[in-house]
Amino acid sequence: MRNARSATVLGRLLGLAFVVCLLTGLYSHFLQDPASWMRFPTSPVWLYQVTQGVHITAGIAAIPLLLGKLHAVFPQLFQHPPVRHPVQVLERASIALFIATSVLQLVTGLLNTYQWYPWPFPFREVHFALSFVIIGSLAVHIAVKLPLIARYWRARDSYDDEGRFVEPTGELDPARAEHEAVRELARMRREAPGEQPSTPAGAAPQPRGFVGRVTRWIDDARETEREPARARVSRRGFFGAVGASTVGVVALTAGQSFTPLEPLNAFGPRQRGLGPNDLPVNRTAAAAKVLETAMDPDWRLTIAHGERTMTFAAADLEAMVQGDERLPISCVEGWSQFAAWRGVRLVELMALVGAPADRSLRVTSLEEKGGYRVMLMGPEYATDPATLVALEVNGSRLDIEHGYPARMIAPGRPGVLQTKWLSLIEVI
Amino acid sequence: MTRSSAAPAVPASTGRGVRIARMVLVVVGVALIGLGGWVLTETVSPTRYGGLLVWLMGAVLAHDAVIAPVVAGVALVVGRTGRRVRPAVLAIVQVGVVVGVVLSLVVVPEIVAKAEGTGNVTVLPFDYAARLGVAWLVVAVLTALAVVAWVVRARRREARRTA
Repeated sequence: MRNARSATVLGRLLGLAFVVCLLTGLYSHFLQDPASWMRFPTSPVWLYQVTQGVHITAGIAAIPLLLGKLHAVFPQLFQHPPVRHPVQVLERASIALFIATSVLQLVTGLLNTYQWYPWPFPFREVHFALSFVIIGSLAVHIAVKLPLIARYWRARDSYDDEGRFVEPTGELDPARAEHEAVRELARMRREAPGEQPSTPAGAAPQPRGFVGRVTRWIDDARETEREPARARVSRRGFFGAVGASTVGVVALTAGQSFTPLEPLNAFGPRQRGLGPNDLPVNRTAAAAKVLETAMDPDWRLTIAHGERTMTFAAADLEAMVQGDERLPISCVEGWSQFAAWRGVRLVELMALVGAPADRSLRVTSLEEKGGYRVMLMGPEYATDPATLVALEVNGSRLDIEHGYPARMIAPGRPGVLQTKWLSLIEVI
Repeated sequence: MTRSSAAPAVPASTGRGVRIARMVLVVVGVALIGLGGWVLTETVSPTRYGGLLVWLMGAVLAHDAVIAPVVAGVALVVGRTGRRVRPAVLAIVQVGVVVGVVLSLVVVPEIVAKAEGTGNVTVLPFDYAARLGVAWLVVAVLTALAVVAWVVRARRREARRTA
């Protein structure tokens, strides 16, 4: 199974998973950190729920795929001589860069979904920067291997009628050609009886013992399996193992993001429906230090448009016309859940202060500090009738953990931007 | 690519299209690596680079010096002791073991993270260690069933052939 066809098949899947992660990751990044000209779709309301669920799921699927890929090419780490040509220094450097960054990316991404950060650098910034390095080093690697990838793209070009792998020509795989030449030389030397028993200058001596066994394993791993039937079983076993483990980890974790897999959610870091108001919690009121300010009977929501300022007590908001929306909470860490929200439509509040439709909003929470205390909302969300200043969720008044007395809920945005414990909304 | 008298450095291009595609990929790839490096210097304090470098090298070492040799060693031992076992049975068992190991790789950090303490009770709500134990049991049972099914079918096939 250690041949160029296996590497091509796994490489394709892994490349696809990484590109999907990059695109969905960029979408999530720009939703949170948009350039001023950027506008985003507010419909379908589940768009971000799906892109971010796919991001996390593709990342988890990439774990067994990457391990399988590395397993398939592992003996090449020890190719001898390590470098035959200056270009190879760059090739091997790009592979080292790819392996280091992709392994680290998958590890930190996975642990981030567990909200566990045992490393000495900031997660979000490094995860973002490394994503470009991964795709870049992957592109260089594909460039190097492109003739081999094209040669073994299709199964029927890769195996003969008996299922034996068709070896590439020397031009396509110089490392292999040289490996075979060295082998052939050794065989000829062994078979030449008049030859001196001492090792000729220039040829590496055959190591014995443990080292010898390991080198022979590395050599043998590059050999074609002699029996096609045995090779087929070993190949099927390998792809069966990679496939089953990929399906397994996805099926047992993705229920936190995708409804059809909900009953199988054995290992997801979140359980839908679990928490106050039947909804999981990310940042708690205690962590945000709003336990007192949010429960203060003198709490007011201030809405400011230039000189025009209006304040609303909780009872004022409750007395207004209420709108109902089914919108998902979709966390950057992958979990998401639809909920039934009820509250005042943001467009109606904006109309009260005479805000024009093309304006952005600056929304401030009661939180004293934290990266998401102040949230900017583009006009596409501010003018969408589905956006609510929510007072209730799932049939009861907001729990303090979900933003009591009032929180923002808009369609298609990451959970960190659905500001809880609202204090001030400014038209800017 | 160079076509010197010695063996070429990398697989030789098989046509003009491949040559152009390779050039584009290298240019885009190097540009993206540069972009990533630039983003890193713009957003991450230089005091963090040392720690990041250690983790990057640790990632490679964890794989190349720990995971891969262990897997290769196990494969070697199983391959030797398993000569009397049919290859297909070995392959089925291998699938089961790999599924269990990959699940453990994902779930063990979850167990540790939960032990370290979580922000609130809705984060990591399950008893992941117990669930992982159950998962290993289920995998073992399914693997055993698959082996039995395969052996029964193989025997029938052989009986038919000799009959």
